Amino acid sequence: MKRVIRFSRFFLPAAVISSALILFGLFGYFTKGFNLGVDFQAGVNQTVQLAYPVANVSYSGKGNAELRISDSAITLVFSGAEIEQKTVVFDYADYPTIGDLAKALSAEPAVAVAIEPSQDASASKLLVPTYQGNTFISANPMVLHRAPASGSELFASIDEVRQAITGLGKISVQVVKPATNQRYLIRAEDSGEDPNFTETARSTIISGLENKFGANKVVMLKTDFVGARYSQALSRTAFLLVLATLLLILAYSAIRFKIEYAIGAVLAIAHDALIMIGFIVWTRMEFNSSTIAAILTILGYSINDTIVQFDRVREERKLRPNDRFVDILDSALSMTLGRTIITTATTMLTVLALFFFTTGSMKDFSLALFIGMVSGTYSTIYIASAFVEWWQRQADKKTKKGQKHADVAQPPKPLAGEQP
Amino acid sequence: MSKIRRLIIVLAVFAVSFAFIFPTIQWYFLTPKEDQAIAVGSREQIRDFSRRMAYSALTDIKAKALAGDTADLSQKYDVVTLVAKKAYKDARRALPKAWSAANLLAAFSNERSMFDAVEGKYREHVLSLKNLHGNAIQLGLDLAGGMSVIIQADMSVLSEKLGHAVSSSEREDAMQRAVEVLNSRIDQFGLTEPVIRRQGEDQIYVEIPGTADPERINSIIMGKGNLAFYIVDSEATSALNAYLTNNPLGVDEKTMTVSQTGIIPEGKIIRKVYKKDSYGLDEFTGEYLVLEGKPGLDGSHVQSATVSSDQITGQPETNFVLDKEGGDLFYALTSANVGKSMAVVLDDRVKSYARIQEPIRESVRITGFNAEEAQNLATLLRTAALPLSLSVENQQAIGASLGEDAIAQGERAIIVGLLAVFVFMFAYYKGAGVNATVAQIANLFIMLSVLTAFKLTLTLPSIAGFVLTVGMAVDANVIIFERIKEEILSGKTRKAAIEAGFHKAFWAVMDSNITTIIAALFLAQLGSGAIQGFAISLAIGNMTSLFTSLFVSKLIFDFETDVLGKKSVSISWRIK
Repeated sequence: MKRVIRFSRFFLPAAVISSALILFGLFGYFTKGFNLGVDFQAGVNQTVQLAYPVANVSYSGKGNAELRISDSAITLVFSGAEIEQKTVVFDYADYPTIGDLAKALSAEPAVAVAIEPSQDASASKLLVPTYQGNTFISANPMVLHRAPASGSELFASIDEVRQAITGLGKISVQVVKPATNQRYLIRAEDSGEDPNFTETARSTIISGLENKFGANKVVMLKTDFVGARYSQALSRTAFLLVLATLLLILAYSAIRFKIEYAIGAVLAIAHDALIMIGFIVWTRMEFNSSTIAAILTILGYSINDTIVQFDRVREERKLRPNDRFVDILDSALSMTLGRTIITTATTMLTVLALFFFTTGSMKDFSLALFIGMVSGTYSTIYIASAFVEWWQRQADKKTKKGQKHADVAQPPKPLAGEQP
Repeated sequence: MSKIRRLIIVLAVFAVSFAFIFPTIQWYFLTPKEDQAIAVGSREQIRDFSRRMAYSALTDIKAKALAGDTADLSQKYDVVTLVAKKAYKDARRALPKAWSAANLLAAFSNERSMFDAVEGKYREHVLSLKNLHGNAIQLGLDLAGGMSVIIQADMSVLSEKLGHAVSSSEREDAMQRAVEVLNSRIDQFGLTEPVIRRQGEDQIYVEIPGTADPERINSIIMGKGNLAFYIVDSEATSALNAYLTNNPLGVDEKTMTVSQTGIIPEGKIIRKVYKKDSYGLDEFTGEYLVLEGKPGLDGSHVQSATVSSDQITGQPETNFVLDKEGGDLFYALTSANVGKSMAVVLDDRVKSYARIQEPIRESVRITGFNAEEAQNLATLLRTAALPLSLSVENQQAIGASLGEDAIAQGERAIIVGLLAVFVFMFAYYKGAGVNATVAQIANLFIMLSVLTAFKLTLTLPSIAGFVLTVGMAVDANVIIFERIKEEILSGKTRKAAIEAGFHKAFWAVMDSNITTIIAALFLAQLGSGAIQGFAISLAIGNMTSLFTSLFVSKLIFDFETDVLGKKSVSISWRIK
């Protein structure tokens, strides 16, 4: 027999700590609110990069020439009729500087490269072009940019960017990390007065920046526009989704187990959702659809964990019907502890991999998941099981009272919904 | 169930999965980039490509034949050689010894048939590649780059026009027309494989992968197709045709005028006639019509259009209904022009024309074409009657390169995450850890194939879903292994411990997975965008992991017990 850990001793302090954490989170929510992401605010979100132009690439041949830049190589694809169809890859390992790359590119048929002076910067500093220039090169040259190579090359601080854009009402500017990249997220709120807000905002931002920093030093990376109706609908759907998922899980576990288990499970996952919300509020993490997805995933993950342990409690109870419930609970929790640790460890390994290897919203997503998983593992024992134990104690008290009055010994009830 | 039968089931599942995944492998790994570039182009670009390829091959071969060049061309013009070979066989002629230019030309009765055959071959090739692309896993915008737009339809215009609140069937019809309109406009702009679909009650989702220019999309959505009915001036048309027989290039394509005066009466216009070709694109038929300068009726009066067939002759016909005001105008117009032709013109292109046999009021019937043409015309008329105003509700543009970055990140996260899990499982469970690893790899494989089979899009959130699913799916293995360990400690033999372990863990695994699947399916139904992609891969992963952890993993254990004759279970470093 495995050693039994007395989890139940800490049920009360755990409930106090959890409540305190949740209250702290709610306090943050009501005082600070969410750092609402792109999806929730009507307006335009424009990600821009301020960079150095390094070369103009043009193509005067027949067919199509497509130039794609990644962080490790440039790929040139010639396609179409009347030309030799081929794909040429220029790896930065073979062409370490931008000057080398330009020389190699211009050796291709009908490709011309006009290079800015003194381009000995590393090829890996090349910026990937944006959606605005499409990837096909033509007689109209495609401009390649590079990020500032060192701190001394930075030329646009966040304040300068803010000053550059005027006439858009309330705007906010954020640094997209790392700061040495000179990449900024500019948000302009849509007040609903201008029907062509998307276009006005875009062109105002572009022209403002170009006037201040120079026409070919501004690179547009990403434009998002969110209409007022869309953002409202999203908040509503998100709220309804969480609520409906909770209800469905409540129904399923009430059928498969008993009602107190179902309530315990739902309390546990609601706890996890609230802990995560508190974390998101206090860390000022952006609240967007990925964050909602993270919360919903944790609902699924946490319920999974809870059900596995309840399954064991149910089984133990059948095997030892005359034991005190709290003892059964402790031993069942001890038995599944190995599984809990291993499952949590494997899942966390994958979440950590996501955290370390991705950037932006995916990184936030995995961080939120990580917190949720810690909370989910904890809540299975200290919220879900603790609630069932509490319920059972209340029920026992009632039966004792009943026994005094009726003086009839009740046989222990077997659990409903048992499975082979 | 016997082991053989279980093995057959597992192999069958793998075979089906492989069949679904194969196009993905073929497209992403075996198709050269330059071929991909052509295949993802619009149909108009493909048409242009096929024609140019055929034309340049033909010109070169003709020049070589004239020069008496006898070099073998089967390497350089493999496609032409292929077509020529078929032509020789069809004509039951002996194949020539060498594929010289003259022999290639001799395969065909004339230049036109050679051009058509070669063009057809190129088209077939590119379209089959396009088809392959359609069957491969689709990358979402966040991975491939491009634009997505959510368009909101405003029903108030429609309800104003109808004079009452819009019923659900009226809304459905209007939305369907709006989708058709967008489809045809995007076609005209020659954009790469757009996705256009309904979303919710009154929204349309448009996705344009690859390059995307925010300004261009606005012109597609805001521009309104302009449909009108014109009376044809048949005398001037014959005069124009007579003039064109002597001056084939007599019409200035830019201004649509003829330099010589006296042919086209003052105030009348020249328009070209188009029909759909084998690419599904508008193709100029070579026919010109001279029309009255002003449209007889504006297309906005069209209320509905359908296709039916004549009760007696069975000929397909297009029927359309005009509103009250349009009916009156149309009656006046047709009464005055009986015997003349009327042309349906969309954006300065004559799409169809027919003779007016009698004065017509609201209900119009046009006959004299095949079923497909009738359908095309009906679609066209319906789009003209679009009673909605559309506006951009949400718009996202993502650089293709950001997508490539994202793919690289996702790949790294998947590989590192999986390796970490596998190493961990092996370190903890020894031999059984290998079993779990095999089960999880099988799981990933089946998951990907399900995703492909349902034509779901691979996005960054769905990659995250995959990674996470593997972490979570290991849970089922863990529950089972822990049970087996307990059974071994209680003194059972290998076979009995495994049986009991799987048996006892079954409901714990089922219950925990079903609750997760409930949550995930629910999300997939109601969520959108990132949430949906993530939820779908989570739901699929949970279902397939039930199969691999309960079925595949058990089969491996049984195989080791019965076939390899193992007596002990390698499941922990402490248990020998």
